[in-house]
Amino acid sequence: MKLKKAITIMVVFLVSVVILAACGGDDEDKESESASGAKTVKFMHLWPEGSSAQHHKVVNEIIADFEKENPDIKIDLEVLSNEQYKDKIKVLSTSDELPDVGMTWAAGYMEPYVKGNMYAPLDDIVESDLSDSFVSGTTEAFSVDDTTYGLPLELNISTIFYNKKIFDEYGLEEPQTLDELKEIVTTLNENGVNPIALGNRDAWTGSMWYMYLANRLGGDEDVLTKAIEREGSFEDPALVQAADEVQKLVNEDSFVQGFNGLADEEAKSMFMGEQAAMYLIATWDLPNFTTNEDIPQEFRDSVGYFKFPSVDGMGDTNSYVGGPGVGLFVSENSDVKEEAKAFTSYFVQQWGERAVTDVGIIPATKVNVDSLDLPQMYVDVLNDLNSATNITLYADVQMSADVAQVHLDMIQALFGGEITPEEFAKTQEDALAAE
Amino acid sequence: MRRIGYILLYVCLSLVALFQIFPILWLFMFSLKTNQEIFAGNPFAFPTDPKWENYLKVFDGGIGTYFWNSIWITVVATVLTILVASMATFAITRMKWKLSGLVLGLIMVGLMIPIHSALIPLYNMFLNANLIDNPLSIVITYVTYNLPITVMILLGFYTTIPREIEEAAIIDGSSIHRLFFRIILPISAPIMSTTVIINMIYNWNEFVFVNTFISSDKYKTLTVGIQNFIGQYMTDWGAIGATLVISVLPIIIAFLFFSDKIMEGITASAVKG
Amino acid sequence: MGLCDMNKVMSNKWIIFLYTFPALLLIVVLIVIPLILSGYFGLMDWDGIGAMEFIGLNNYIAALQDSKFWESTLHSFLLALFSAISLIGYLAVALILASKIKGANLLRKIYLIPMLLSSVAIAQLWIKIYNPSNGMLNSILMWFGIDNPPAWLADPSIVLYAIFIPIIWQYAGFYILIYYAALKNIPESLIEAAKIDGATPLQIALKIKVPLIMNVFKVTIVLSIVGSLKYFDLIYVMTSGGPNGASEVMASYMYKLAFSSYNFGYGSAIGFLLLIITLIVTVIIQKLTASKDEIQY
Repeated sequence: MKLKKAITIMVVFLVSVVILAACGGDDEDKESESASGAKTVKFMHLWPEGSSAQHHKVVNEIIADFEKENPDIKIDLEVLSNEQYKDKIKVLSTSDELPDVGMTWAAGYMEPYVKGNMYAPLDDIVESDLSDSFVSGTTEAFSVDDTTYGLPLELNISTIFYNKKIFDEYGLEEPQTLDELKEIVTTLNENGVNPIALGNRDAWTGSMWYMYLANRLGGDEDVLTKAIEREGSFEDPALVQAADEVQKLVNEDSFVQGFNGLADEEAKSMFMGEQAAMYLIATWDLPNFTTNEDIPQEFRDSVGYFKFPSVDGMGDTNSYVGGPGVGLFVSENSDVKEEAKAFTSYFVQQWGERAVTDVGIIPATKVNVDSLDLPQMYVDVLNDLNSATNITLYADVQMSADVAQVHLDMIQALFGGEITPEEFAKTQEDALAAE
Repeated sequence: MRRIGYILLYVCLSLVALFQIFPILWLFMFSLKTNQEIFAGNPFAFPTDPKWENYLKVFDGGIGTYFWNSIWITVVATVLTILVASMATFAITRMKWKLSGLVLGLIMVGLMIPIHSALIPLYNMFLNANLIDNPLSIVITYVTYNLPITVMILLGFYTTIPREIEEAAIIDGSSIHRLFFRIILPISAPIMSTTVIINMIYNWNEFVFVNTFISSDKYKTLTVGIQNFIGQYMTDWGAIGATLVISVLPIIIAFLFFSDKIMEGITASAVKG
Repeated sequence: MGLCDMNKVMSNKWIIFLYTFPALLLIVVLIVIPLILSGYFGLMDWDGIGAMEFIGLNNYIAALQDSKFWESTLHSFLLALFSAISLIGYLAVALILASKIKGANLLRKIYLIPMLLSSVAIAQLWIKIYNPSNGMLNSILMWFGIDNPPAWLADPSIVLYAIFIPIIWQYAGFYILIYYAALKNIPESLIEAAKIDGATPLQIALKIKVPLIMNVFKVTIVLSIVGSLKYFDLIYVMTSGGPNGASEVMASYMYKLAFSSYNFGYGSAIGFLLLIITLIVTVIIQKLTASKDEIQY
């Protein structure tokens, strides 16, 4: 009999725990709202302390300053790493539960959210608090139908970083043309040095190589962007020829062995471990080559960079593949939209200079760097950026998520030699046309 | 001839053992290396200058809370799963009723659901029940999603329990509850230890549910803590290694304990039988 | 007191309800309902954001004509096949460990260690093993004089099999543990009797031990096949299904559609099909393995 009771109690216990917890959840909610009338703004970002220490620190400082200046607003923070952040945002959006302020990527990534009325228009902030503070072209990437839905935080261009020590050892110079680059590759291969680190498991890395070749071969016209925007065809001769050049580079063993199975992180580590001489990446990695104390000084001193070379005398080397990285959005359905907007505006204003001095990346806002003591490479990149004639936004960011997946798959297949340049172009043309 | 056979057997067994113990040793060496050593260096080499600070870095990252959460969630979920699963298995295999096959089938469907199919509906349900960012959502999800496999493992054992044991107990006038708690549960100790080990490992290492249902740092578990070191721009592999080592230690200790329980349980039931 | 009484006690409705209710409640609420919902989402054109549009069976029809879906299904079935075959090896190991050889206790513990590691740790280990230029595997191959060892995770004709190895290895401990516990449960008297009759250890293993744990073995066949068909973890971390879908399995394809391509309706349909396929396979296995001398209860 006792045992029978025990079991009944167990079941009752189980059920009541569930019910109690549900009520408990209610209590907590009330608590956070009633606390001295302060409003809570939920903010999610993707710079965890363990891996992006400087980013993380600056964010916390900005939040602390903001809370001090606005005692009636509290910022409730959640930090996730990149992939986890994307997955969680996806789940939250299905239940219309986006944080009040969060991070977003430009163009193709944000479009579904904008169409689903998830992001609040931020034109008022851009025109008032932040008027004339963004580098031109950066907010456009976060606009849909001329309305701005995201405030960019970084601006990147991609360049080829190289190891000066290795170049010196074999008497190599920064290449101006693709043919010169190929000669460097040949020399390095003859001496048993891996020429170029590439982690094409994350196919956006290979996409940058393809995009640059397409850009150079296309001359002044941005054929790739036109194809994506449906003003041109992906089967444009320049786009097919660029694919052909990619395969030539692969056939000449330009890239490290097994690049299609390597993550970008692994390729980066090969370059930083001096296992490969060159590495094409965007300027978000600048801190690793300049100020990051975790990387040996000796290595940081030996890194140089050059612009992607011209191809057969074609292309403008001041034209870059790049664009703004992450930006901030404000949730349209936020209960504290005004407070969230105020925080976003404050954040962007504060982020600019601190991003330069404390993080070492290039912000999307204009910063007067003359008075700041900055690493030479940083200043050089910034000058290049200022004299850029064109910045083509990463193809997988421009495209809708669906087509971007096709593009990335095709990049892997192209680099892997599974398809011909013509098939490469046709598959993507079909995918773009089907939209 | 027989001797040579045994030597060969032991050579093979030792080789496999070496292979199986290697990951732990590798992980430990990994946790003491720099990024450069991990990617560029000889994979078998010892770290030239062991970076113990990787461990300090991990502890600075506030791993204490995560650690405690992992422990209590794992323990509570494991105990509940095994109790609920044992009761269900007992009713399904030992009692006579028409719908037992149907119920078993329903439980088995639980084996087949891909987690990512369930994620979004589950999130929505917990949201409506006000259980988002509440560790209870994690506990009941763990219990539910480990139930099917636990039942399946217990099933094979429960079907082999001799009918006579029950008959004897019932004829002696014992109630079903007494039969279950005093006789069936004790004799299933070895298989229960097996399911304890499996449940522990699953709960301890689970990641997707915690990441999705929990947003406050105070409720997050160790596996989410590891992700803290995987970054957009720079991944600190040494620190990941250190977190992995720290996170696997408690589970090794618990495993060694329950692994011996499998043996003890058998001896105990042998004495009774 | 008689058998009649016994039957009455063992078919007490209230007790059956009490014992199965907690499990049923949890399963129905947290598994069956989400499952039905995911099948329902499969009927929608929905990117996971905002309004959804009912499009009938279009997603399911599209899936059946989707060559990528069938390719990933084939990969999943291959994994299931290899996993099921590997069970025989695990059973052999468990038989050795459970027989009274010296050091069995220690060996058993060592053998089960990899099982304790999380998928993150296992993925990191195998990524380092497979690294084409300085990975452990290729270092060893080159030491043996093989000049051009393959790039395991980059070669579309190899990657699928390369990634099966860590997946199957990951579960070795799990199955060995189950077999071990089942073998230890066999009454010592049966084995002693056979020994007296002059049976060799091999004969005892094959004629007595294996038949006695056949029920457990059948359960593990189902577990390994079902587990393989919905497998996701290491594929996602180690190859993301690439290069160009060469290592895509059903669950990773479904994830990619729902979470990366914003095709949530279609992804849900794939997830639901995955379940249907698994269900059919399970029923077939049950039919195939059901023996005439099923233990009665």
